[in-house]
Amino acid sequence: MRYARLVMAEMDWIGALLALLLTLFIALPLVVVGTWAFSEVWRYPAVIPQQFGLRYWSLTLSRTDVWDALFLSLRLATTVTILSAVICLPAAYAFARMKFPGRDVLFLSFLASHAFPKFGLLVAIAGIFLQIGLISTFWGVVLIQLVGTLMLMIWIPVAAFKNVDRRMEEAARDAGATPLRVFWSITLPQAAPTIAAALLLTFVGTFYETEGAWLIGAPQIRTMPVLMVTFINNQIVVQYGAVLSVMLWVPSFVALMLARRVVGTGTFARGLGA
Amino acid sequence: MRGSMSLPVRSQGWVGLGLVALPVVLLAWLIIYPILSAVASTIFVAQPGASAISFASYQFFFSDQYSRANLWITLWTTLVCGVLLLAIGLPIALYLRFSRGPLSAYVQGLAIFPMFVPSIILSYALIRTIGPNGAVDVLLNAVGLPKLPSPYLTPWGPVIGLVWDNLPLTVLMLTAGLGNIPTSSIEAARDVGASPLRVFLSIIMPRMGNSLLVTTSFAILGIFSSFTLPYLLGPASPEMMGPFMQRTFSDMNDPVNALTQAVIAFGFCLVFGVLYVRSIARNRGGV
Repeated sequence: MRYARLVMAEMDWIGALLALLLTLFIALPLVVVGTWAFSEVWRYPAVIPQQFGLRYWSLTLSRTDVWDALFLSLRLATTVTILSAVICLPAAYAFARMKFPGRDVLFLSFLASHAFPKFGLLVAIAGIFLQIGLISTFWGVVLIQLVGTLMLMIWIPVAAFKNVDRRMEEAARDAGATPLRVFWSITLPQAAPTIAAALLLTFVGTFYETEGAWLIGAPQIRTMPVLMVTFINNQIVVQYGAVLSVMLWVPSFVALMLARRVVGTGTFARGLGA
Repeated sequence: MRGSMSLPVRSQGWVGLGLVALPVVLLAWLIIYPILSAVASTIFVAQPGASAISFASYQFFFSDQYSRANLWITLWTTLVCGVLLLAIGLPIALYLRFSRGPLSAYVQGLAIFPMFVPSIILSYALIRTIGPNGAVDVLLNAVGLPKLPSPYLTPWGPVIGLVWDNLPLTVLMLTAGLGNIPTSSIEAARDVGASPLRVFLSIIMPRMGNSLLVTTSFAILGIFSSFTLPYLLGPASPEMMGPFMQRTFSDMNDPVNALTQAVIAFGFCLVFGVLYVRSIARNRGGV
């Protein structure tokens, strides 16, 4: 007993140290960007901005390029999420529930699509798009972002469909329900929360997708992340980027926390092969 | 027994294949075909009349000093990040495996947090934090210490960003690996008087081999061809392979050399890709 307590005390000491270091490393940059968004004047070497205020919020929100990029990003993310759901959800159902030749190999090949260095793959895709004229087009960006959603949109719903209670489905079928009716009234409602989480993750992930949009879309297709990259490159007023970071990040953070509650953090790790 | 959906097994096979056909076609068209095409188009060079095999673009890459410097800085960054991620992630994962309570929940929350921060926002935040006259300088100045040389726009800039960004998955994957080690075998060793270090070296490490391998492979695959963080936080020259490929493709308008760089990136990551796939295949044992 005493030994256990000693180990626990030691652990708390380590825990406190880890908590302190992680707070500095992880939280500090975020606190800094949050502070910048609400400061009007912050000159070195003041620890606290000389003047707080919301002036830059109205300045940022009155820029037309910000609104254009926001609507474009929302349109892109919606298109990609819908397409991804239409393409992947039936496949996820098949992978979870049906037997067909090549099932395991095909499922594994979706997971294996992460085994390539991502930007190299994007450049290889861009090489194809160059030949068929998809560079700098809306649909070119849609396709390249769609590739990135395939894996997530298949393996999370596969888990959802596998967790549906088979006995309830069989009971419904025994009571004379048609297969479609069983799917609609029993299978789908049970799988729905997890599938909704996958949709949410896909939407948020696509909204912030930078690399494909930059490589394929630039300069015509200016999504929100691409606009933020140009803000950094052109060193426009610090606050613009800070305001955008806070404005966009808070809603997506809430959405992701909701999604995580359903999917569970461990699933991410397991899905990636841990 | 009837199959699901009350279909005979044989027709179920066709329905199943039909349902997965679209994503499989997409996978073939947008992942497998581009990779094969990148390899083919950099080796088979169109000559007048017929195409011939030529390694000219690869010869150029490996003889060009600037390309070699970029490859070198990429390998250096990947190695440093990999080592740092394990050095930071393993203690956190070990702590999370063996402790409960609010402090442990806080540590876990913080370690996972970067997952919810897109890299573009992280880049922005880090420039304001580690950049010249950034928050780190402000804090050092406030306690009367001299400024540190800023890592922003040096090779250390991307290292900090990439470690930040990859920490959650490293911790999650290592914690999952540690979770597979039965508590009873650790307690048994403790009972016979093994020190924590001894338990770590003799009981935990031998069973973490696969988990460490997957975690490192996955991190390396992500870091080797990362784009956003090195592009925004790193030096303009030499640059990592990600920004280098982008600049060659878009700014220099030179797809052949960009594809050559991509194929070289595939080559360097091949071992880790194979290790990664082998491990997920073994863990899943099918669907």
